[in-house]
Amino acid sequence: MTCRACGTAMNHHADKLDYTESGGADARLGGLVKEIHTCPRCGNVEVRIADGSAGAAPGSRPS
Amino acid sequence: MSESRPLFIPVILGTARKGRFSEAVARFVLEQVRKRATIETTLVDIREIRLSIDDAGEALKDQGFSALVMRADALILVVPEYNHGYPGLLKHVLDTNLKEYIHKAVGICGVSASGFGGARVIQNLLPVMRELGLVTIFWDGNFSNVQSLFDANGAIKDVSYIGRIDKFLAELVWMAEVLRHGRENVSLEGTS
Repeated sequence: MTCRACGTAMNHHADKLDYTESGGADARLGGLVKEIHTCPRCGNVEVRIADGSAGAAPGSRPS
Repeated sequence: MSESRPLFIPVILGTARKGRFSEAVARFVLEQVRKRATIETTLVDIREIRLSIDDAGEALKDQGFSALVMRADALILVVPEYNHGYPGLLKHVLDTNLKEYIHKAVGICGVSASGFGGARVIQNLLPVMRELGLVTIFWDGNFSNVQSLFDANGAIKDVSYIGRIDKFLAELVWMAEVLRHGRENVSLEGTS
């Protein structure tokens, strides 16, 4: 993910399961996983819905 | 690159009540933070954050407070103990953000009129901090008998607090440095 503020590649350092939203790839978790990314250059924080988890086997995500 | 940037650690005064003794504590803590050249800080008075009580989500946010927390590497909460709990207004303010807190350090200074130094409000805040994504340290500020702790000029009478807050800040700075490095450089396992 690229920082919207400065264009630097951001670091994905956390996931948060949002129980207030559902569907998509993370229905098996009962919510929607959101990724938290931080920019190493300016400290900007961005959140996006996790991608690539649609085909993940149960238990394959970091616990 | 991050190592060249000063840490930004605001002090949040967690009560809006008239006559609050916690203000003297917050100003004392702010003064101690300012002694450290590698830290930028400011005082955040929740009395000055005007939030709606009947809105939700992004509409509820105070943009200035959100931007400040986004910039912060750590937070210091100065919190009085009201009926063994934390002020509801502080909780309301904190609940308006989430992503801005994640994997950032927090230190808590409890304030009480009793001799327990706000220990109960600190304990009650810990699960809230965790759910917000903040990382607590294992030093606290415990300000007891606050009604007689400061003189008329706001100077602290018991100088042992200076040494204790210095230790508190040392731990907080360490955690803030580590977490900033992690946020910016260490990815979750299996991700890139």
